[in-house]
Amino acid sequence: MGAAVYSLRMEQAAVTDLRTARARACLHCGSRMSGPAGGDFCCAGCSAVHALLKARGLESFYSLRGSTGRGRLGLPAALPSERFSYLDDPEFLRDYADPDGRGMRLYLEGTHCAACVWLTEKLPEFVPGVERLRLDLSTGVARLRLGPAGKFSEAAEELQRLGYRPHPVRVDESEALRVREERAHLIRLGVSAMASGNIMLLAIALYAGVDGGLQRYFRWLSLALYLPVLLYSAQPFFRTAWAALRRRQASIDVPIVLGILIGTVASLVNLVLGSSHIYFDSLSAIVFLLLATRYLLRRVNQSAFRAARLMHFMAPSRARVSRGGQWVDCPTDAVQVGDLIQVLPGECFPVDGVVAAGATSLNRALLTGESLPVAVCRGAIVEAGTWNLSSPVEVEVRSRGASTRLGGILAAMEKGLTERAPIVAYADRVGRAFVVAVSVLSVVGFFVGLQYGWNEAVNRALAVAIIVCPCTFALATPLAMSLAIGKAARNGVLVKGAEVIERLGRARTVFLDKTGTLTEGELEVTNYETERPEDLEALVALESLSVHPVALAIRRRFERSQAPGARPRVAEFAEIPGWGIRGRVGGAFYEVRAIGGEGGETRVGVFRDGCLVGRVALSDRMRPDAREALDGLRALGLDAWILSGDSLGPVDRVARHLGLAPERARARTSPEGKSELVKSVPESLMVGDGANDAVALASASVGIAVRGGMEVSLRAAGAYSSRPGLMPVLGLVRLSRETLRVIRRNLVFAVLYNVVGVTWALSGGLSPLAAAILMPASALTVFLSTMAGTRALRRAFP
Amino acid sequence: MSLLYLLVPMALILGFCFLAGFIFAASRGQFEDLETPAHRMLLPESTPPSETTER
Repeated sequence: MGAAVYSLRMEQAAVTDLRTARARACLHCGSRMSGPAGGDFCCAGCSAVHALLKARGLESFYSLRGSTGRGRLGLPAALPSERFSYLDDPEFLRDYADPDGRGMRLYLEGTHCAACVWLTEKLPEFVPGVERLRLDLSTGVARLRLGPAGKFSEAAEELQRLGYRPHPVRVDESEALRVREERAHLIRLGVSAMASGNIMLLAIALYAGVDGGLQRYFRWLSLALYLPVLLYSAQPFFRTAWAALRRRQASIDVPIVLGILIGTVASLVNLVLGSSHIYFDSLSAIVFLLLATRYLLRRVNQSAFRAARLMHFMAPSRARVSRGGQWVDCPTDAVQVGDLIQVLPGECFPVDGVVAAGATSLNRALLTGESLPVAVCRGAIVEAGTWNLSSPVEVEVRSRGASTRLGGILAAMEKGLTERAPIVAYADRVGRAFVVAVSVLSVVGFFVGLQYGWNEAVNRALAVAIIVCPCTFALATPLAMSLAIGKAARNGVLVKGAEVIERLGRARTVFLDKTGTLTEGELEVTNYETERPEDLEALVALESLSVHPVALAIRRRFERSQAPGARPRVAEFAEIPGWGIRGRVGGAFYEVRAIGGEGGETRVGVFRDGCLVGRVALSDRMRPDAREALDGLRALGLDAWILSGDSLGPVDRVARHLGLAPERARARTSPEGKSELVKSVPESLMVGDGANDAVALASASVGIAVRGGMEVSLRAAGAYSSRPGLMPVLGLVRLSRETLRVIRRNLVFAVLYNVVGVTWALSGGLSPLAAAILMPASALTVFLSTMAGTRALRRAFP
Repeated sequence: MSLLYLLVPMALILGFCFLAGFIFAASRGQFEDLETPAHRMLLPESTPPSETTER
């Protein structure tokens, strides 16, 4: 019966038993349901939340959601019931709450539309102790404020009941520092915008030929407006350039600072001498454009990152610890080695440890990629990040936090991700080349000018230094990257950073996971026949006692058509791993077991008293857009492979369906094997499940996760698609390629501009007016060219 | 033309007033969450935004 490989999510669903098949929409969450009967809700959870909203007089949630909702509601009550008493623990509050102990930040899972804002912010109206709640939709973080008598646990329980599982967020020093820096950056940007706008107005008058006292007045006024830009707005450039120089490294900020300083000195000298060569307008405009681009880049990078960074989602942040014979909720940080903790079915192990009492089965997919349940008993080792599937166990803690196996894997992944950032190295290379080029050309300018006297020599050297503008590199590349990341996000794909776009654009080989990536990842009943209706009833009754993938598929298909009360009773039930299940139903002895199957299809036979009386065929369906997406990827010149842990038959069938040669489909590949293969190819792209293929995703030069939780996926993969199907993957690859094309176009323009500008400056013909036009014009051209993109870029996402 | 000696500083003072307003708003964190307020204004009788800023 062990036909399909199941993902972590699937197993969770199994435990909480919330999934249903499709056709009608659930009144609460809007997910589709099938079957003739079953009421208005897809599950008991949705029904409960609906009743709760009604009791609180909050039905307008539904109309609000309709008008502004961006997606389907989460599946709220599927969450295991949690107790939040640890939120009121003074020790916990010291770390997580505001200094006065009445405010806290909670990350709320599943907030996504105006109705969520409305509903959560209504909290003070029905939880008496709550003074105020403000939700930030872009990060999902709510700021909770309590009245004098309020309790965090009460508020958290109510939020959980409404379907938003709360996680306390620790506001540490670095976060406060980040907020301060971002605000300071914005103010710098505002100051430079105001100054450069006004200087430009004055400059127009100057170029138009104002003379006499007014001319002198306007020039000194320009200086006055330029000073805040130089002394305040441009500070970050000076700081990073200085730091880079001290460490004897090149940075793109070095040539920028060089240009600003030379421009300022030249303008000051000319201002005092009364010459017309002053560049305050161009300099402040460049500072403004650079700051604006960096601000944009920061924002898009962060919006993808912040949510992922907020919590250590992979292992739960609390545990139930035995204290004096009682189970007490406490944060995982406070658990000591040697403590005894309890883990219920449907929960994730928060620590590494040894089972001290009880026996259960685990889903260890996160660590091993193996997603069929593993049985453990007393004395067995359990690891953080694995899921308890069947019964409660007590675990003696061996290690926690960063010292667990999961913690080690995460640390290694994060290290790997920060180590490789080619775009940074690239900017530095360009920066270094620029410093050299500017110095050499200025010297050349000086000697060329020397034949006309010292004055002319200095003027030409300065003109070269000013006109050579690195801003096309410093501005256009990050801008193109941030636009691409923003566009991807609007199409439901979260990209971790600029280097991900670069690597995607260069990818030559694509490896695709099969189960859950090319296929839906869930078994479905495709065909069935039974001799008598009672046989079908008996089958469903038997399967309802099992959590095996086949049992779940059968339940999804048939449970809705049966009234729960009418289900026959099962006696002598037994589940024999690798064989099937059996039991006595209504006087007859039934066996349900695998009877072979081919080409990815699983067949199950129903035997009554030893005679075959029914058959059920199940298979894992292909994603409907798999073929189209794969053809698109191949049309872009990518070499496609299938990597699967599944057996040869189903993998072969999928390969044939997709038109792939059989040798490009690798079956029975372990997670380590996948990772080896992916690593052996340069410029590889791995597409898979964020949880089960985490290792392979992290080993590839870039990975896209199409399944699994966002937080988990973004640890291992560079990008995460939140929409179903494979078309977003194709869209992202196209987008990345076109973005690199735009960047190359900008570079060509930058080279062209610099060649013309330098030649002009060297020949001595560069007037202040020409410089004032050329400098911002070059920046503006690359800016506009980047904004416009290419036609294919605009159409990257279907 | 000599009127410009007066007019330009006046225009600049006006500009600085707006800049001061911007700095006030930015330092109170009003540009950090650009998404939620757009939704919040559509909500009927939402909780009064008594305090949009903190820290």
